Amino acid sequence: MLEVKNLQAGYDRLQVLWDVSLSVTEGEFVALIGSNGAGKTTTLRAIAGLIKPKGGEVRFLGTNLSGVPAHLISRKGLSLVTEDLNLFEAMTVQENLLLGAYSRRDTKKIMGTLEYVLSLFPILSERKNQLAGTLSGGERRMLAIGRGLMSSPRMLMVDEPSLGLAPMMVVAVFEALKLLHEQGVTILLVEQNVNNTLHLADSAYVLEHGRIALQGASRDLLENKYLKETYLGRR
Amino acid sequence: MQDVKPVQVPRPNPIAWLNAGLHTLGLSLPFLACVLILAILPIFVHEEYLLRLFVQSLYFGTLAMIFDFTGGFINFVNFGFAGFVGLGAYIAAMLSLYTTLNPWLGLIGAMLVTGLVGFLTGLLTVRLRGIYVSLMSWFVGMTLEALATAMIKVTRGARGIIVPPMYASITVVSHLYILLGAMLILYVILHLIIRSKVGLAFRAIGQNYEVARASGVNPVKYKLINFSLSCACAGLIGGYYAHFIGIVTPELLDMSHTMEVMALSFIGGSGSLLGGVFAAFLFIPVFNSLESLMNYRLVIYGLSLILIMIFYPAGLGGFYQWLKAFLNSSKGKKPS
Amino acid sequence: MSISTIQNLLVTGLLRGGLYALMAIGLALVFGVMNICHFAHGEYYAIGAYAAYFAFAVWGLNPILAILIAALISFLAGAITEKALFYPLRKLSKGPWVMNAFLLTAGLSTVLQSGFQLGFGMQYLGITQYWNATVKVFGMNIAADRVVAFGIALVSIAGMWLFLHRTRTGRAIRAVSQDERGAQLVGIDLDWIQTLTFSVGSMLAGIGGASLLSLNPAYPFSGSAPLISSWFVVTIAGLGNVEGAIVGGLLVGMFESVSYFLLGQGWQTVASLVLLILLLLFKPSGLFGTGIKSVWE
Repeated sequence: MLEVKNLQAGYDRLQVLWDVSLSVTEGEFVALIGSNGAGKTTTLRAIAGLIKPKGGEVRFLGTNLSGVPAHLISRKGLSLVTEDLNLFEAMTVQENLLLGAYSRRDTKKIMGTLEYVLSLFPILSERKNQLAGTLSGGERRMLAIGRGLMSSPRMLMVDEPSLGLAPMMVVAVFEALKLLHEQGVTILLVEQNVNNTLHLADSAYVLEHGRIALQGASRDLLENKYLKETYLGRR
Repeated sequence: MQDVKPVQVPRPNPIAWLNAGLHTLGLSLPFLACVLILAILPIFVHEEYLLRLFVQSLYFGTLAMIFDFTGGFINFVNFGFAGFVGLGAYIAAMLSLYTTLNPWLGLIGAMLVTGLVGFLTGLLTVRLRGIYVSLMSWFVGMTLEALATAMIKVTRGARGIIVPPMYASITVVSHLYILLGAMLILYVILHLIIRSKVGLAFRAIGQNYEVARASGVNPVKYKLINFSLSCACAGLIGGYYAHFIGIVTPELLDMSHTMEVMALSFIGGSGSLLGGVFAAFLFIPVFNSLESLMNYRLVIYGLSLILIMIFYPAGLGGFYQWLKAFLNSSKGKKPS
Repeated sequence: MSISTIQNLLVTGLLRGGLYALMAIGLALVFGVMNICHFAHGEYYAIGAYAAYFAFAVWGLNPILAILIAALISFLAGAITEKALFYPLRKLSKGPWVMNAFLLTAGLSTVLQSGFQLGFGMQYLGITQYWNATVKVFGMNIAADRVVAFGIALVSIAGMWLFLHRTRTGRAIRAVSQDERGAQLVGIDLDWIQTLTFSVGSMLAGIGGASLLSLNPAYPFSGSAPLISSWFVVTIAGLGNVEGAIVGGLLVGMFESVSYFLLGQGWQTVASLVLLILLLLFKPSGLFGTGIKSVWE
């Protein structure tokens, strides 16, 4: 579904990604892990069209995404939930969710998706008419993911959902992602929390200093000596 | 023990010394050449019309330079600029009307009052940031214009005040030399300030207000220094202009004149100080020589400003720097 | 002060207030969505006035039609301006956006004003009235022109509110003003929304100019005073606050009406400006405080 080849990207004069290649097939749950500053967020931004790649290729459902503006990539079915969430603070939970379905026209189907999202995150249902700016950290994350789902995307990319969340909330968020995966949603997850992520994802890519250092099935990676030492702190 | 070789004391090279001195003052040879040309021009050109043209160019150019002192360094676009120039003009005019004060002293008065008003305006903007500073200066400028119109008993309102010349026998050539001298002196002073630690503080504030403050630069103090100085100079030149043009009306404070100066300043290159002077000599003679163009004057200024903003924000100054670097590199010299 | 004087002041104040609110909404939208401090807003008021003058006085069209045409023309003018100027500025400019855009609008204002001078001359192109009638409202006889103008303002404001809150596109506009990246992520085309917003803002100003034609004739600088008034409203309401602009508009309308009566034209301008300066000094984020953090130190 998603093919990234030799991606090079960065900001202005600063190059962050030097050679990133990864692929995600339909129904897969793929993780992109690495420490702070490795370039994970940059990778997602480049794929989603928020920044222009300096080199390499990104193909989604066979189409080359190079030069395609972010909003069109979103409409193609590639939905990104950013680390900053980018919620519409002065709008209600419901309004945020409905805006998530901006690119869709069928009202009935949109309402159907809304019901689904609210059942996935019951807390959002309770706070339907509250302003997004008044929600707690975990609730905001759920709202962001929920909004990302409202477009009924072919693939969902989530950037560090566990960051800054209380452990209970982290569990809840990961549970939701697991459920989504079980229901057939293709997911690309970016995370610093390596242990939890590897237990959730099918396969993973390890990003270091803008390059893929390691990749493979999750269970294999969990046994990998280097990974265990560097990211799991075990010998 | 090794022999200590006698150190060769380089004989003072008068030309190198002169060069260094000029460089400190910010006077490059090309610029001095232009000044010289302008200075000897009246020997060859006798038409009053042409000479007045050059006076006008000098006037606008100097104003553009003063505007750039604020806009190009502390990054504060003074939208009320014409208001301050006009204030200087009115003070000089009123002093000549209501008192018997020597007009030269009147100019000092205009400078001081305008500097003070500039200082007060700066105070008003102390707690504001970015665009709001420019908005405030815009409102102040408009208030000055409104006051000039409303205080009829003092300012004669829209009818304006007639202002006698600086001295009875003054000629256009005198105006030319006086303004040329004023421009030179002002330039050197402003340039020296820019080169000093004060100027460094200006630039720091202009680049990033917060970072400057964090590094220990007191932004308020330098903002006020810069703005008061800029307004004082504007008032001085405005005051002189009153005596040159002979009549002062509220129209002088109109926003359109701020636009003219602003356009010249930006086209000349923000932060170049002299760029605006060159831009003035480029635009004003052209506007005046082609009658039809005069009407389009503001359109051309506006369009030029728009185009420069979008396509070449560095302006003439930037172009000059590029040219210098290009010529230096092709000569094999490293760009200074 | 007689009752009729007070009534007159009230009516004038409300009328102006309504139209200022309309213009201020346009200004607030442009700032909120595009982050542009619009210095040329008054020129679109003038475009509306000129358009209505030609439609009504020259081509003899029905007043309502004339105003609609004026709205359409100012909308188009806004669209053209945005695509021709702000779109390239967005794509090409690397410097400080707010200041560059502000300067661009300053240049634009100059160009438009000169354009009016060159195209229409310095004459005042006005009409005495759209309708030769008076309407009885609350026991007062008010010129039909004023009542209709106020009505148009009300309808337009209500229409804007419905548009922004109940339509998909309107919600998209609000979304862009709140979080640009979030808007991109849900599939909103930023360029299209920005063009639309600027066009709508210009249209609102144009409606103001057209509606008040009998009071303010079309003239190259007819946009200057409405510009100041719109900025007055926006400063009271806080830059970007659309709802506050409505209340602010009425307040400014009343203030101008009363101060004009008490002080006369010249000093009324001074009073407005002094108040504006004081507001900016003490309450830059507006009386209703939208918490624009970038204003304070």
